[in-house]
Amino acid sequence: MTAARQSVHARSALWFTNPKARRATWACALAAYLGGASAIAHSSNYEQSLLLVAAVYSVLALSLDLVAGATGLYSLGHAGLFAIGAYTTTILNTHYGWNVFLALPVVVAAVGIVGVVIGALSLRVSGLYFAITTLIFTIIVNVLVSDLSITGGYQGLPGPTFPNFPHALSPLGSALVWAVAGAVLLTITVTWSIRSSALYPALLAIRDSEPFASSVGVRTAATKVAIFSLSAALAGLAGWTFSFLGFITPGQFDTTAAVNILVMVILGGMNTRTGPIFGAVFIGLFPTVVTINPLWQEILFGSIFLIVIVFFPGGFVGLLARAGREIRAKATHTGEAQASVAPGTRPSHSNGSAPDEPREVTAPFRPSVGIDLRATLGSSTAAAREREAVSEIALEVHGVSFSYVKGTKVLDGVDFVVRRGTVHGLIGPNGSGKSTLVNLISGELPCQEGAIRVNGRRIDHLPAWQRPAVGLMRTFQTAGMVSELTLRDNVGLGLFSHLPRIGPRSLAWPLLPSARRDDEKVANIATAALGRVGLEEPWPGSRALDVPHGVEQLAQLAAACVGAPRILVLDEPLAGLSRQEVDQVAAILRDLKAQGVSTIVVEHQARFIFEVCDEVTVLAAGELVKAGSAAEVRSDERVRQVYLGL
Amino acid sequence: MLQVVLTGLSVGAVYGLVGMGFAVAFYVTRVLNFATGQLLMVAIMLTAALSAAHWPIALAMGVGLAASTLGGVLIYLLAVRPVLRFDRLSFAWLVSTLGVAIILESVAALIWGTSSLSFPQLLNGNDVNILGGALTWQQIATVLVALGAVVAFEAVRRITLFGKLGTAISADPEMSSAIGANVTLHAAIAFALGGLLAGIGGVLVGPISFANPYLGETYGIYGFIALMIGGTERPAASMGGGLILGILATLANTYINPQASDWFPFVVVLAVLLLTPKGIFASGDAIRDRLIGLARRQPLTTSKATPS
Repeated sequence: MTAARQSVHARSALWFTNPKARRATWACALAAYLGGASAIAHSSNYEQSLLLVAAVYSVLALSLDLVAGATGLYSLGHAGLFAIGAYTTTILNTHYGWNVFLALPVVVAAVGIVGVVIGALSLRVSGLYFAITTLIFTIIVNVLVSDLSITGGYQGLPGPTFPNFPHALSPLGSALVWAVAGAVLLTITVTWSIRSSALYPALLAIRDSEPFASSVGVRTAATKVAIFSLSAALAGLAGWTFSFLGFITPGQFDTTAAVNILVMVILGGMNTRTGPIFGAVFIGLFPTVVTINPLWQEILFGSIFLIVIVFFPGGFVGLLARAGREIRAKATHTGEAQASVAPGTRPSHSNGSAPDEPREVTAPFRPSVGIDLRATLGSSTAAAREREAVSEIALEVHGVSFSYVKGTKVLDGVDFVVRRGTVHGLIGPNGSGKSTLVNLISGELPCQEGAIRVNGRRIDHLPAWQRPAVGLMRTFQTAGMVSELTLRDNVGLGLFSHLPRIGPRSLAWPLLPSARRDDEKVANIATAALGRVGLEEPWPGSRALDVPHGVEQLAQLAAACVGAPRILVLDEPLAGLSRQEVDQVAAILRDLKAQGVSTIVVEHQARFIFEVCDEVTVLAAGELVKAGSAAEVRSDERVRQVYLGL
Repeated sequence: MLQVVLTGLSVGAVYGLVGMGFAVAFYVTRVLNFATGQLLMVAIMLTAALSAAHWPIALAMGVGLAASTLGGVLIYLLAVRPVLRFDRLSFAWLVSTLGVAIILESVAALIWGTSSLSFPQLLNGNDVNILGGALTWQQIATVLVALGAVVAFEAVRRITLFGKLGTAISADPEMSSAIGANVTLHAAIAFALGGLLAGIGGVLVGPISFANPYLGETYGIYGFIALMIGGTERPAASMGGGLILGILATLANTYINPQASDWFPFVVVLAVLLLTPKGIFASGDAIRDRLIGLARRQPLTTSKATPS
């Protein structure tokens, strides 16, 4: 996966900072692409048929990488979706006489809808079971097209012929080549746009750490279904183009094909921009170019699977990236280090303005505060806070009970009140139900009994991803950041719920000026927030994978603060922190308090709790033992017995 | 009807053995060896080829089983361990074990050709009457051997330290290696057992199926379905899954149409996965837990609030 991790920051290449150079590069790339397509459109039939298969596979592999590489949904159902696309096009054209261009939107939409159903499955079964369920989908489609008479059974059907260009356009060459080139271009645009959008880190978070994703406001279930549906629609598009390439038979869409698509992605390099294309071209051309005894060909094919996965697990692109790193390392050794950027560091997007002046950029942003509320509290936020400050109670938990297994109550009728602008400690022995309570407040767990109110408004029916919108953010006991993203990108995820319409905009992200502005703001606010928790350069540009645990914990705190929460829930924020870092956290909590944020801290370090908290609630065996001011609780006889052991 | 069930049992026992072959390896390593079906094929092909070369049947079978067992170990060492070292939770093994499956199948086809070879008859084909149904001795032996394999496996897993360590490794390999378990050895043995179980299935079904390089694919898929019906959490449950699958497939062929076993099993397994994602037998546990939970409710309310 090192390849994938490297490529995450492909968008950080230096030319990105110069919009003219960027536009020129894209224009050249597009011209080269169209030139290539034109050359193929005029080439011989043999070359065309060869390259068109590879091109269709590219669409398929790119669509699979979107769900498998980025979102972690290892689908083996894409062969089935591909089959539905190809067969539907053929049947609509040959049986019902539909124009192929009329069939196109219908086919793409239909396969997209099937994708919604399969995507919904991913909510029930995950990981390996999702792969298996989707493989069974492919098998069922395959059995159906083999047995039905309308699909021509095992013999298959001759695909429709693609209409030629009208006479005026005939100098352009083969119309089919242009259609396929268009499909590939569309797929590249969509998948690459998503990879460069603010949605991409959210997808990775869904893949690696779903609770983290929903805690920052990512609508995980809907996102998974939507992204799978999009991927399925692209597979349907691939099927539409494939139907024009000749005969379609069930054998082209069997389980081997299902696995082959995944192999294309892995061979080329999973979760990379170009990897799936390389893999698709290789697998597409292999059987035609390597013409030996078919059995030997199979053996060679199997050996390639084995050798690539064992020796070059990052795929082809991973190999290239490694070579590139080595060359760069050599260059640095020869003394040209000054100009180069630290590995993994993303240069600031700020078009010349120094990155260490985040506040100016921060100001126009809606939540407008980042962690630094004290310095630049935007007036709108202050007004909003005043308006809401009707009740003194920030968070109220009333009569909440919870059982994981029926009959065994982990929480039993707990009342818990956090007053506005205080730091509230939640303590208790292991197994007392602290984490369960926190998970109920953040919506990780469904509330079974009782009520949870924020500012007097009941929130217990809201799903986790809607709770950041009521001003509730949280951190996790074991930090669950996306390991291949930089801390800056991880913290930037904390602003996810503040960016409007990420979903639709992600389809054309690099083309939208508003998106580029958002990228800059998010990067700057995130860097500033990291600075506030004491993580200056080079930490913001380091990958979460490479940083020590304490740093990840602090970054998590920054991610929760960056969206300017009104209520902050910290689940054991000190675990694994050094003495110095603990002081840092204490200072941050005081800061937040000064800004009127109400904080709930679950912690075992009694000293920290009584030093920092205004009020403390003690739980034991799922029941409330004592709640009151820190001093009161500390001197309580029962608390000493149950917990402090003093 | 009874006849159908009996035939189904004998067919399903082989699916169950292959399913257990998948399950044992998966149980310890969390890897599905997609070449398990091909290991069954290796056992069949070698036994058929050697007995055709006038080796004694027992010896030919022994070599066949040894080859499938050794094959399991080699797959682990060459195709699985290197990719696990890289990332335990990725699906890289899916590609590498499928690569092995393709290679094994093609090599067998190169050596022995693509047409079926005959397989030695071990037991005579006489029918035995059981409660009005009839089975051949071969079919009865298949069912008995399969059940014996389940009992032996469960005994080793539950009673011996070796088996318990396997359970520990399946839960947490790092922790187990910290307490002194040799994870590599255990995993290699699990793959060897997987190969052996598939091989046993092979020599049992050989007299009916004959010897063909492409048998591995068929039995691999059916074994895999048996695994999914039974659930991956308990290897022995795969045998239950195999028997259910065998009966359902035979019923489908008898009562729906002769080709129904092509698609019927997939519909069943899809239904199973949708209703109980972890397999039929695992969800039995869930139901039991719920019942126990209900039973516990009573005493808990009386002895409430004991601060621990």
